[in-house]
Amino acid sequence: MNQMGGWMGKILDVNLTTGETSERPLDMDMARQFLGGRGLGARMLWDEVGPEVDPLSPENVLIFACGPLTGTGYQTSNRFSVSTKSPLTGTVLDANSGGFWGMQFKKTGHDVLIVRGKAEQPVYLEIKPEGVTINDAVPLWGKVVSETTRTLGQNNNKRNVLCVGPAGERLSHMAAIMNDGERSLARGGPGAVMGSKNLKAIVVEGKERPGIVDQDKFKFMLYETRKLLRASPLTSQALPEFGTIVMMNVVNNVGALPTRNHRQAQFEGAEAISGEALTEKYLVKNSACWACPIGCTRVSKTDKVEGEGPEFETAWAFGAQCGVDDLAAIIEANHMCNEMGLDTISTGSTIACAMELAEMGLLDSELRFGRADLLVKMVEDIGYRRDIGAELADGSLRLAKRYGRPDLSMSSKGMELPAYDPRGMQGQGLLYATSNRGGCHMRGNMLGLEVLGLPKLIDRFQVQGKSSYVILHQNIAAVIDSLVICKFTNMGVAEEYFARALSAVTGIHYPTGEMIRVGERVYNLERLYNLREGFAKADDTLPPRLLNEPVPDGPSKGWVSKLEPMLKEYYRARGWDENGVPTPHKLAELGLDKWVEAAQ
Amino acid sequence: MPQVKLFGILRRYAGASQIEANGATVRAALEFLCTGNPALRAAIWEGNALRRYVRVMVNGRDIELVQGLDTPIAPDDEIAVFPPIAGG
Repeated sequence: MNQMGGWMGKILDVNLTTGETSERPLDMDMARQFLGGRGLGARMLWDEVGPEVDPLSPENVLIFACGPLTGTGYQTSNRFSVSTKSPLTGTVLDANSGGFWGMQFKKTGHDVLIVRGKAEQPVYLEIKPEGVTINDAVPLWGKVVSETTRTLGQNNNKRNVLCVGPAGERLSHMAAIMNDGERSLARGGPGAVMGSKNLKAIVVEGKERPGIVDQDKFKFMLYETRKLLRASPLTSQALPEFGTIVMMNVVNNVGALPTRNHRQAQFEGAEAISGEALTEKYLVKNSACWACPIGCTRVSKTDKVEGEGPEFETAWAFGAQCGVDDLAAIIEANHMCNEMGLDTISTGSTIACAMELAEMGLLDSELRFGRADLLVKMVEDIGYRRDIGAELADGSLRLAKRYGRPDLSMSSKGMELPAYDPRGMQGQGLLYATSNRGGCHMRGNMLGLEVLGLPKLIDRFQVQGKSSYVILHQNIAAVIDSLVICKFTNMGVAEEYFARALSAVTGIHYPTGEMIRVGERVYNLERLYNLREGFAKADDTLPPRLLNEPVPDGPSKGWVSKLEPMLKEYYRARGWDENGVPTPHKLAELGLDKWVEAAQ
Repeated sequence: MPQVKLFGILRRYAGASQIEANGATVRAALEFLCTGNPALRAAIWEGNALRRYVRVMVNGRDIELVQGLDTPIAPDDEIAVFPPIAGG
């Protein structure tokens, strides 16, 4: 067992241009300030990738990072992240995933893997106790994710495969990096970055284990967390029983389910694509990541496919957003996304954008809202960049711009928005507009506060005062992404338990407030990165449809997103100036004094 | 009569996804719904209050933002009852 607490203390650096691999110590001051995962990734990306770097050039890097809790056995401590500059948005990007790969990578004795440069021919990395090798992947190039994963010898607890599919090879800006077969680092196109390096896969086998400084306190935290997760009906019943797709009916009921490219906010077919319908007709079993007692994953089966998913966001993106009420078609589209290695939210929403363009007579295609029969082939065509799929492969904004209608891309900073309509959830709109990686709900979902009453209910139409809740959720999400654990744990366990587990593992005292401050630090550094890239206040916005077109019917009828007053309040509450630039005072408070000049 | 729609595990307890319920308020309608069904009652009620995390909406509006369990209901109203659920 590693004698340090939590961190392994090593970075593995692989240069695909030169073929060199090397190790260096992890900067422990940096690790204490940024923890791991998203935080450490953002900090390292600041040094590695500046504004002159094209995301698909060899100068971009992939930073795979675990956190101090990864691999310790703490509940849901299986997650890891990748950080890079996004080809979809041009912003700082991190994406995180569950499964088993992160745990296994930590067992190789490293906290971070940086991949830089570009191989001359397709290669895959193998990281084993014997060493690191760069291997010929020409025979694998072109293979779908499941075949690649199988061929490279995936075994959940011993040997884990991370790879790209055809979408990443062809540099689709919506390409995901897949791990353990059907898990994904999905949003923002990290798969394209990996494909641009001619890197097909990374296989890991390890033997080491992270150290735990205070074993007694850690065991106690395991016990307490287990008790809380069992006691909470959310984590012991709701998520295992129905999975995330159970959200379909409740979000639809309040009139916040974006429908037909956000033309409406309620879908008449929601029941047919709900968690209840999935459980009744297509569910095989539930499944779990390593060290996870919750088990929210669905395994579903149709006449044609069987596999993990679909999650709520996927069912929405190919469902309500496309006007499709055929759950079998959605399951099959999800399966194809996994095989191609594509982000389901962006892919579904880009197809929806194409459907609207086609219905308007702008795009020459048989795509129409409700055409469930076209979904699977469209996903495959996007993955292989063929026929009309080539036009959709780089996301809805590029597609819509090509036809002179950028306003029909339901995106923020170029990232397609998820399954909650900001006109029906005002705080969610602020969250999307200020998310550092573009339109994303995982940066601090307001679903709990605005719909589910978790931990309390706030009127979803209320505008004043929302910013403080959004900021708190964003900061907490950032620290959870840096630990790196699953946000569903937070539904049964308060942040103070994470702080106590972190303190026990590392031997460093992290009061809860100090731990959340890490999240605030990460958020501000990401903001600075984007400012350096040329993003500005004007980019903290939403599509014109959501700002100007009232919801036509349902419980949110008549509402638009009232972003402007919320944004002003948000900047002030963040300690930023009126243009959304972190002030010197705020940066000093967060220990980011070195970045004051960059902020000016 | 007002329609009560049930979701998630409540459907299993009720044996149905939608039931007509009698009552001038949400409280009365839910009491009517749970009559003779102890499993459903246990899933929705804790004493005289709603069980924690159970959400009730009338025409898409959470009753907590109206008059709680005393929210009046009209004959053509749609009441939706959700058990504890979570997602992302």
